[in-house]
Amino acid sequence: MATRIPFGPQHPALKEPINFMCEVSDEKVLSVRPRLGYIHRGVEKLAENRTYNQNLYLIERICGICAFAHVTCFSQAVEEILNIEIPSRAKYIRTILAEMERIQNHFLWLGDVGHEMGFNTLFMYSWRDRELVLQLIENISGKRVNYAMNTIGGVRRDITSMIMPSLKEGLNHLEERAKYYTEMCTKDPTVLRRTVGVGMLSPSDALELCAVGPTIRASGIPRDVRADDPYAAYEEIPFKVITYDGRDVASRLMVRLDEVLESISIIRYALDNLPNGDVRVRVPRRVPKGEAVSLVEAPRGEDLHYVRADGTEKPVRVKVRAPTLANIPTLCKMLIGENIADIPVVIAGIDPCIACAERLVFVDTATRKRWMWNKQELRKYATKWYRKK
Amino acid sequence: MVPQEIVTLLQVFLFPGFLFLFCLAFFSDWMDRKLVAKFQNRYGPLYTGPKGILQPVADFFKLLAKEDIIPIAADKTVFSVVPMLVLALSMTPLFLIPMIDYSALIWFEGDLIVIMFITTLVIVAMFMGAWASTNRFSTIGGMRVGLQMLGYEIPMTIAMIGPAISSKSLSVSGIVQSQAVGIWYVITQPLGFAVALICLLAHLQRVPFDVPEAESEIVAGWLVEFSGKKLALLKLSKNFELVLAGSLLVSLFLGGPLGFWLPHPSVYFFLKLIVCIFILSNLRALFARFRIDQVLEGAWKYLTPLALLQIILVVI
Amino acid sequence: MAMERELLKSLAKKPATLCYPSEKATPVEGIRAKVAWDIEKCIGCGLCPQICPSKAIELTGKGSEAEITYYLDRCLFCGECVDVCPTKTIKTTSEFELAFTSRTEATIHYKRSKPSSNRKEKGC
Ligand code: SF4
Ligand code: SF4
Repeated sequence: MATRIPFGPQHPALKEPINFMCEVSDEKVLSVRPRLGYIHRGVEKLAENRTYNQNLYLIERICGICAFAHVTCFSQAVEEILNIEIPSRAKYIRTILAEMERIQNHFLWLGDVGHEMGFNTLFMYSWRDRELVLQLIENISGKRVNYAMNTIGGVRRDITSMIMPSLKEGLNHLEERAKYYTEMCTKDPTVLRRTVGVGMLSPSDALELCAVGPTIRASGIPRDVRADDPYAAYEEIPFKVITYDGRDVASRLMVRLDEVLESISIIRYALDNLPNGDVRVRVPRRVPKGEAVSLVEAPRGEDLHYVRADGTEKPVRVKVRAPTLANIPTLCKMLIGENIADIPVVIAGIDPCIACAERLVFVDTATRKRWMWNKQELRKYATKWYRKK
Repeated sequence: MVPQEIVTLLQVFLFPGFLFLFCLAFFSDWMDRKLVAKFQNRYGPLYTGPKGILQPVADFFKLLAKEDIIPIAADKTVFSVVPMLVLALSMTPLFLIPMIDYSALIWFEGDLIVIMFITTLVIVAMFMGAWASTNRFSTIGGMRVGLQMLGYEIPMTIAMIGPAISSKSLSVSGIVQSQAVGIWYVITQPLGFAVALICLLAHLQRVPFDVPEAESEIVAGWLVEFSGKKLALLKLSKNFELVLAGSLLVSLFLGGPLGFWLPHPSVYFFLKLIVCIFILSNLRALFARFRIDQVLEGAWKYLTPLALLQIILVVI
Repeated sequence: MAMERELLKSLAKKPATLCYPSEKATPVEGIRAKVAWDIEKCIGCGLCPQICPSKAIELTGKGSEAEITYYLDRCLFCGECVDVCPTKTIKTTSEFELAFTSRTEATIHYKRSKPSSNRKEKGC
């Protein structure tokens, strides 16, 4: 007997509304149908009505967690159209903040996964320790969540030598905690039982379904924008791309925890080798005609922004492809054959950020019809539309 | 002299009867919450009463005052009876446990069997409640309640039989009294104690065995449709179950209200109960949730053989 | 199992959070919070309402008679206005407890005390 169990849009395991209609039989998932569109906010349309500078703050609010990745991505695209090079000190500061954001996100994610497996203590502890990195970020930028640090042409605040010692001290503490969690997650029997062999994703599937971020790296494929197409200061900073071959949630856990350690060493290197100079260049308000695509490795995976400018002070089109959207097809693949009990862990395993992903529901206001497009249809429509132009 | 009947009535209703048990239930809930909060580096209940000690009471009354919804599709009679049934069933065994004296308020040869029987009935009642609410999550939760019982019920019974064999009595009071002359069974039967502890954890549906109401998986499992008064009663019965689990461990393995120099035996009982709640809370904070298949596997592969081994050791 | 030591340790520790209304966090140096105008210094250049991403600033009047209405509920504390103001009229405060029960409470009017005398001083 197959029962259909709605997973969401309101569900304690989901922090954001998305719906997975799961067909289950005897606690096993037979099929999954995702449905997006519950928190479509029209950010892309809004962006067309704002100046580039104002857009920074809008783009920053696409996601509360990888805010910095989004805004870096957007600024890079605009900088590319403007054809300016930002000062290298700004590049380093961007790198430092991006890595801090990664640490912050991974700690948050660890707690979240802990909560999904019913391990509330892990949740409390890792969120407590996330506070450490939030404080470091606050020291640098004056804010905790949306840092308001990036601007087109650099960053808005400098890292002064005054806060340097406290940053380094904070990093030491963070490193200790990250090591503790790594040890705990490899040892605790209940955590292992809930994660090893759960939510398998083979490397070929991962490639075919275009998985991104820690999800694909946990399937053994070293794909990381920071290494493949370096931006900011990643070209000059040595770091490893972490991969694990386990293909399961346990590997995703380990990839993220190791990335935290890697991020800490990146930040240390960047702080020690911070070049001198300005942190921003002044840019014109009007952006010349042109378009650009920029890629950033957000904590959750590859983030893509496309910006088209027409010479005014507002963009004509901004397109965001957030990492979660790329990971949803893989998620559906992973869920099939899993236990009901594992659905939350698997979903949490890709670290979904639904608000970022909400780009694909179309509402025809005239007929009040709602529909969703798959890739082919979207491509077809896009070619048709552009041909008309 | 006060007539004997009045004394008995007072005992049943005030001390150590209903009123006292209610207080004990609320207290152990508070203690559990506070301890888990402490373990997790949080504050826990804080504002109602000193250190938030009245928080469980406040929660209880708040729930009582809330809207009570019965789903249209639910089987109304069963759905309304279940909370009372669960409450009554989880409270009854507490009268059979010697708390303030060496013998309980009511005791007879074989009351241990009655306690075991009633704990199983509680599970059946929960299953009925889940089934009657006809919610998809409840149904899955109810299934899990039943499955989980199949797992832990047998090792729990076997583990509890150990002290009964050693003391040659099938009554909790008898077991306590036999520990007065001998030593505590936790020393002679540590395996049995461990198995009973784990099984009681499963019976209480607490982490790592909170599968039937796994919040992040099936919302609240079998409890999903209960609200208002019904939920209040069910929550209260959970607290009674916690007290029952603690007191069973205390009476069967830790010598009940036995002690050497403190003025009143009940003081000992409380101290031991607090220790037991401490252990239970500690375990709750320590683990992630198992999956239902893992619970069953563990129960059959490890707990049952261990419990049997203990019995064999006892008999030899 | 691996966490037992940490659990026991935290029994003795003070909880990680603060008891908020009675204990408050001290804002860090350079926090970006509510902004405030020293309206006498404003020259009404109109840069701050223009740059504000969330339209939280309204400028009324012109030149040295300009007055500011600040919609705190819209402000996202980016500090762009602070950076842009040519006369350093705008300052960031460290006030972070910004919950209000009504919108009017969250709307702050910055009025000049004696607009006419001010004008004379400046001689325009
Ligand atoms: S801080 Fe930012 S949002 Fe607030 S008033 Fe100034 S410019 Fe506007
Ligand atoms: S930027 Fe400064 S001077 Fe200009 S209008 Fe705003 S407050 Fe006044």
